[in-house]
Amino acid sequence: MKRLVSGNEAIFQGAIRVGANYFAGYPISPTSEILQQAALYSEENPGFRFLQAEDEIAAAIATISASLAGAKAFTATSGPGFTLMQEALGWGHVVEAPCVFVNSMRVGPSTGMPTQPAQSDLLQVKAGTAGDVYPLAFYPNSVEECFRLTATAFNAAEESLSPVILLADAFLSHLYELVDLEGSTLHIVPRTKDPLGSGQRLFTGAAHDKMGNVKTSDPVNYREWLRELKDRHDRVAERYPFFEYLPCKNSETLLIAFGMTSRVVLALKDRFSIFRPIRIYPVLEKELEEVSQSYRHIIVVEGNDGQYASWVECALCQKVMKVSCLGGGFKLKWIQSQIEDGLKGVGR
Amino acid sequence: MDRSYKELLKLRRFPHTWCPGCGIGAVLKNVAMVMKELGWNYKNTVAVSGIGCSGRMSGYMNLDALHTPHGRPLTAAEAIKTVRSDLNVMVLSGDGDLASIGGNHLLHTSRRNPDITVFCNDNEIYGLTGGQAGPTTPQGTKTLTSPRGEHHSPLRLGRILTQQAPYFYARTTVYHLNHFKTCIREALLWKGFSFVDIISDCIELNGRRLGFKTAHQMFKWFDERFHIVEGERDQLQEDELGIAKAVVKEVPRPAEKEEVKPEIPMEGLKPFTLEELERFDGQEGRPIYMAYQGKVYDLSASPLFQGEKRMRCHLGGKDLTKDLDIAPHGEDLIFKFPLVGKME
Repeated sequence: MKRLVSGNEAIFQGAIRVGANYFAGYPISPTSEILQQAALYSEENPGFRFLQAEDEIAAAIATISASLAGAKAFTATSGPGFTLMQEALGWGHVVEAPCVFVNSMRVGPSTGMPTQPAQSDLLQVKAGTAGDVYPLAFYPNSVEECFRLTATAFNAAEESLSPVILLADAFLSHLYELVDLEGSTLHIVPRTKDPLGSGQRLFTGAAHDKMGNVKTSDPVNYREWLRELKDRHDRVAERYPFFEYLPCKNSETLLIAFGMTSRVVLALKDRFSIFRPIRIYPVLEKELEEVSQSYRHIIVVEGNDGQYASWVECALCQKVMKVSCLGGGFKLKWIQSQIEDGLKGVGR
Repeated sequence: MDRSYKELLKLRRFPHTWCPGCGIGAVLKNVAMVMKELGWNYKNTVAVSGIGCSGRMSGYMNLDALHTPHGRPLTAAEAIKTVRSDLNVMVLSGDGDLASIGGNHLLHTSRRNPDITVFCNDNEIYGLTGGQAGPTTPQGTKTLTSPRGEHHSPLRLGRILTQQAPYFYARTTVYHLNHFKTCIREALLWKGFSFVDIISDCIELNGRRLGFKTAHQMFKWFDERFHIVEGERDQLQEDELGIAKAVVKEVPRPAEKEEVKPEIPMEGLKPFTLEELERFDGQEGRPIYMAYQGKVYDLSASPLFQGEKRMRCHLGGKDLTKDLDIAPHGEDLIFKFPLVGKME
């Protein structure tokens, strides 16, 4: 039966349906509702464990440790909290802990504008932690997709043995839409890692070899390990080449937008073609290249100052136009005028 | 001597990384010996460490072990225990890791009281990074970051950890071996959060700067500084070695309050018909009566029915039973008013 569900609830329900049984978090706008739902759910379902941690550092460490202990674990936060979680994320990649981190973005840097939506943590997801990591990240744009992609994130985590990021924004978290959660079916990848207490392994954040021996001054071993990590993530990412492409016959211009911005620019679909990446990381380089070939102009519309645009430029080896919706302002009229101005400037 | 404890150590990784004379080896060995006595092994035990020299301990244990980021072993251990209550979880780490960068986690994990045991190799220095002042470095001690002597007074772990019952805080040294083992055993068997503060030596990066020539001289110094106190204690003085513990009786969770509706005898109440009730509408100085579930209440005193502020939703002289079912407030509002009769 269809009912009104918020993005936050859809994320939580998606996690429950895919078998999540551990949540650790710390209150922060706009994902506190997920924390609250988890608290209530754990009271009613003793098999589901919950921790309201003392800070996001602890929440993230607890999520990864619970995952190693055998739980399907997740946490939810926003930009400033995600910054604190970076340490644990790096650790999670090295100890190969499958889990999900939800980051519903608000205007930053720092405290920024806590109740206003933004899309400004994209670079933080990819490059926030020390060293090279190859995270997978998905970004839905509807409540129904929040539900399904949460399940996808858990599955991809099990396959890639790493923390997978589910991105959202303050708009999406608090967006209510009619969806039928109970009636939809989800694909579930079962647990892939042996839980703690079944061996003599060492899960260390230090560089190590396959036996778990700490190797902190061996470049050959490190290079091998990192290449394997990257290959594994690439292999898993190939299974989830998610994007949405709305071609417009008469248009020479391709708009690239995702999350809430893609909902706003959808109104322009009769004038411009629209490409919406759903898998944000690894960047959909091949798909971007294919789609962009038939367009003279490429415009990236996003809630930050050109973070995804820089990835598009890298993928296409060319400059692209940027429309930056900053400070929580996502007005269609403004975006439209920016696009028009931009196109005028380059001669349409 | 029984050497069977060695099966709990990853001897293939030896020689270990620690300097000759370091106290950490003694911590590792004695913990392994007590674990062996208690029958703990890789099937039922997980070790968690942080960063630092002491953080390498879990890696030498023949168990599933975690080597967490700096300062986070307590949180990791708590999460593991939460998910797998069947496992024994212990933390092997140091004072810099647990009390400085992990200080916030120490406060809150001990408050939440998970059933884990913490062994803190307290050598009063940051050894692995070369000998900088730590949170437990005594005032006046010269280190790399306190070249004229440490300015601040050290963190008193014993005081912090014995403020909120239940707690288990033991202080011992690597020199007082029998006492050390007793503390380990009691801590491992304690139900709840137990913390063993093991005064240990770092001869190379602390001791030599203090003027000691050998680790043994440092051990003798421990013997001078501390003395063992026997018996049940709830606090330890700074020069005492012993166990301070306190239990609180488990307070049962308050049951959810059941709604108690006031029982009012219906006998002897004045009967009203609906027509009669309608006369008490508050107009021209008449009182305001309203019926609810067969009873008639006098609502004249309600501020909602006074003068201009007169309530817009309900009029006097009516049966409110149906209105209250859909009203945004509960029925408890009406029970506050005097009962004057019953409906026929």
